[in-house]
Amino acid sequence: MVENIVFGIGITALAGALAAVAGAAEDTESDIGSQGDPNSQVQLAPQMGFIHRIFNKAVAGEPPAYGLWCTLGAGLAWAFLAKDVNPVLALILGATIATFVQGVYATSGYLGRTASLAKFGQPVYIDILKSMLSVTMAHAFVAIFTTVAMCYLMNASLGHPFPLPLLGLVWGIALGAAGSATGNPFYGKERQYQNQKFGAGVPISASGNIVRYAEAGQRNSLDNGWFSSKLGGPASGVCFGLIVFLELWRTVLFEHIGAGWGAIIVGLAMILVFVVIDRWVEVYARKNYGPYTSAEEASS
Amino acid sequence: MSALGAAKPAAGGAMDPVSSVIGLVLAVIFIGAVFVIAPTAVMPLLGIILGGVLIGFGVHFVPVGGAPAAMGQAPGIATGVAMLAAGAGLAGLFGGAWAAELGVVVATVTGAIGGGLMMAITCLMVNVIYVFGMGIPAASGKVATDPLTGDSQVEYKSQGTEGHGLPFISFVGGVVGGLFGGAGGTLIYLMLLGVYEQFLPAIFNAKVEEIMPVAISLAGIFAIGMFLVNAVLAAYNITGTIEGPHDPKFKRFPRAIVASLVASALCGLVAILIVVVNLNI
Repeated sequence: MVENIVFGIGITALAGALAAVAGAAEDTESDIGSQGDPNSQVQLAPQMGFIHRIFNKAVAGEPPAYGLWCTLGAGLAWAFLAKDVNPVLALILGATIATFVQGVYATSGYLGRTASLAKFGQPVYIDILKSMLSVTMAHAFVAIFTTVAMCYLMNASLGHPFPLPLLGLVWGIALGAAGSATGNPFYGKERQYQNQKFGAGVPISASGNIVRYAEAGQRNSLDNGWFSSKLGGPASGVCFGLIVFLELWRTVLFEHIGAGWGAIIVGLAMILVFVVIDRWVEVYARKNYGPYTSAEEASS
Repeated sequence: MSALGAAKPAAGGAMDPVSSVIGLVLAVIFIGAVFVIAPTAVMPLLGIILGGVLIGFGVHFVPVGGAPAAMGQAPGIATGVAMLAAGAGLAGLFGGAWAAELGVVVATVTGAIGGGLMMAITCLMVNVIYVFGMGIPAASGKVATDPLTGDSQVEYKSQGTEGHGLPFISFVGGVVGGLFGGAGGTLIYLMLLGVYEQFLPAIFNAKVEEIMPVAISLAGIFAIGMFLVNAVLAAYNITGTIEGPHDPKFKRFPRAIVASLVASALCGLVAILIVVVNLNI
């Protein structure tokens, strides 16, 4: 019994660590490819007269895109496992093939999206396609492999009833949702609009005027990946890692208490703790940053 | 009024009585069809409909800012309505399916808590990024004061924006939305699993234990599909972005409930028919 619990906690920790890496890689990949909501600005910029060399491969939101890639990776790994292939090899092969599918989508996404901007004078840069594609694919491989490996642990070691492809779909969509929610503002506001005031939202009138120049020459998406990997990526990793770790932890450790109610009460307590932390963060910002205008001015 | 104006769909929270009645009649027909073909599957179908309605209602709580939120131009989480709700609901379904053997009540509540926990962590990280990464406090664009905390919002909106981040009411809305979504998704899964456990052994001429992998996979994929159907319907009702329960758009939820009810009844009918109607092909 105790051995089972210790084994369960170990697997939980490993799955949480894999999820943290997956979240960080997912957000960095999507920011290099401008996959999340910030793609609207990359698409809008040439229409406002700002020609740029930013890679834009968005074909869908991050959650459905990662739902597809992780399901593909998990499904293929599952098929290899059914053929008695070594699990580690099966996971790597599944993730590799899924990564090539991502590469196909990224290529057609960039060419299609950018070609549609021809009337605004935006060129299709083949060197951008060549240099960015391999980097997004590398990040996508890390994200897909870690997610599929995590799903395999849940299925094979923790005994979750869902088959591997179904777990890939569930956690792929959740990975995209967590990564886009946490990472998008950091890329969309803080990086694309680095020329706007720090500590304030981007005025709607500035839409489309994204930063197009780097320290030397024109900015490209590798610069954006470098920037996102400093905070947006790790924060997405913490977000997805916490989701996976705490969900597994409360189930593995407390589900046997009170015929399932133990895990429910612990989950509820954790939600309340996060509510308190959020309120503290909100009050901290109001106190330390202060209002933008006085109350009278704002209401007039 | 022009003909075009007269044909406009009902705005705001208004319900279109004719289409609502047609929808409800259709739902009754679908339930009646199941009653005629397989009377034992009527209760699961009602459970599926309840699950769908919970999802459709719950999505309205989730604060979604879409692309403007990614630029700090509007409050909410910077992603799409349907996808965020799906992420939370499926995380809940994961927990609920794991607890399926503990009974419908425990599993459904476990699913709800799973969805709520996912949303609590995600909403917290959104605020952490805004506050510690970008130096921007949370502010609502739709209300002057937060209905829960009483904090004034107007002076914390930066110039030229609709607000940013997640004010406390939006955070709570996100968690409540996750709770509803997780419960609804899990309920659909459990109901379908019960139906498949009942009918699949006869089709395959096998024991219950032998058909369980097929039953779980079928129920899981149908539950995910129905989750997306209801989340997308609610997203159409919201039209883009919503701040949470304090947003005027929230009042539109009755329409989404009718739509989810009809759509879940039809999807449930199909999901039940594939095992009930044995064509002996």
